[in-house]
Amino acid sequence: MQVAALKPDTKQVKIEVKNLTKRFGDLLVLNRINFHVAQGEFLAIVGPTGCGKTTFLNCLSKLIPTSEGNIFIDGEVADPKRHNISFVFQEPTCLPWRTVRQNVAYGMQIKGFPAAKINERVDFMLDLVGLTETQSLYPNQVSASMVQRITVARAFAVDPDLLLMDEPYGQLDVKLRYYLEDELVKLWQTLKSTVIFVTHNIEEAVYVAERILVLSNKPTNIKAEVNVDLPRPRSLIDPDFVAIRKHVTELIRWW
Amino acid sequence: MAYEEVKVKKPLSLILLPILSVLTFFVVWELMVQLDVVPKTMLAAPTQVGSLFVTKLSDPNPDGATIFIHAWVSAQEAFIGYLLALGIGLPLGLFMGWFGVVRGIARPLFELIRPIPPIAWIPLTIFWFGIGLGGKVFIIWLGGVVPCVINAFVGVRMTNPTLIQMARTYGASDWQIFKTLCVPSALPMVFGALQIALACCWTNLVGAELLAADQGLGYLITMGRRLALPDLVVLGMVSVGLAGAAIGVLIDYVERRLLAGIRR
Repeated sequence: MQVAALKPDTKQVKIEVKNLTKRFGDLLVLNRINFHVAQGEFLAIVGPTGCGKTTFLNCLSKLIPTSEGNIFIDGEVADPKRHNISFVFQEPTCLPWRTVRQNVAYGMQIKGFPAAKINERVDFMLDLVGLTETQSLYPNQVSASMVQRITVARAFAVDPDLLLMDEPYGQLDVKLRYYLEDELVKLWQTLKSTVIFVTHNIEEAVYVAERILVLSNKPTNIKAEVNVDLPRPRSLIDPDFVAIRKHVTELIRWW
Repeated sequence: MAYEEVKVKKPLSLILLPILSVLTFFVVWELMVQLDVVPKTMLAAPTQVGSLFVTKLSDPNPDGATIFIHAWVSAQEAFIGYLLALGIGLPLGLFMGWFGVVRGIARPLFELIRPIPPIAWIPLTIFWFGIGLGGKVFIIWLGGVVPCVINAFVGVRMTNPTLIQMARTYGASDWQIFKTLCVPSALPMVFGALQIALACCWTNLVGAELLAADQGLGYLITMGRRLALPDLVVLGMVSVGLAGAAIGVLIDYVERRLLAGIRR
């Protein structure tokens, strides 16, 4: 399927990050970061180790307050109580005392969705990620990749304005990773959510994203922006793919 | 094949040793009394205690009630105190774990009262409640409420912080996080509290009855002392021990059934 490059100027701006700055005492971690994300865009963020990716995500999700600047969703200051923000963490965050089905429903229950809608939506999501048959099992009874699929399904289920993903597949082996990346792209294409995907795996970023932001070392700023204008499904050995991957790798390696 | 042989055969000596040690204990005890190594006014032989137990099953003399009534009174007191300890201690501990306001109010008071042994409250409770049920329940409650609060508190504090962050990103309120994350996380510790609190209640029960009672197993021990009947004292002690062990087995059984349902 051909997906055209979705440049922010040709599509409605959904997320706007203005002047985002975060200091811990004297330590400047995030230095005046500005960027925007279009409605339904899949944005990947890569950067060198220790560049403040986690702090960056915590600011975006409003888990920690920013020192200066802010993040705006549809022109309003982002607020987890008003906006649908979902966060898929690197470590598994399934609730061990809930079944797979109840876990997928959790985000919607917190948001106070009506029961009938939750039921319908959970059925839909379980089907989409292939967990229908395991829905009544507990997280410790399913495999590690399924556990991460539960959290991804839970995140997409609330129909998020902004979906943040913090290296969700970082702890899985390569084969499962490819499989889940394909599934993630399929979910995104079906549900048209706006996704910010943080990873340190450049190949993964080029594989899933429409646009890649490359972060600099601390104090972190956006060093470069790379559009990934490749048809899907993408091939890891396509010369264009390899060219972009090498370009991003160079950007991270040299400063 | 190497992995097939997992049959653990308990050596015969390991089966026999516990039986032997218990038997030796009773035989030595019996002989010490029978051979007058220890005067009969200071200790009763196991056989005497056994025969007294059979007598006390039906004879209310000399302390005013049969052993069954003593045990029943004690059990009543222990369970009322225990249930009250659970009903107040567990919610208090859970709330203290999550809500800073509750912690701020209750923690200093709790830390002040906690080190006072419940038995030290006995004189005051006699002023307040007399020697009836109320005073003893109060002492037992004091003993049981402390482990309930501590365990529930620690259980909530052990909630995985990433889960709390996850709920926060969905916009969860403090109450929602408490209800959906903290309480389930604390459950294993709460089950631990059930057992610890019962043991504490039972121990304090005897203490309470030693000083302020007219019935109960602790009272039986006191009467034995007053009437200088060592066999009555030992009978009281043995009954307390046996009943405590029986309760422990019961709680263990209930807990295993309940935790099986939680399937963590």
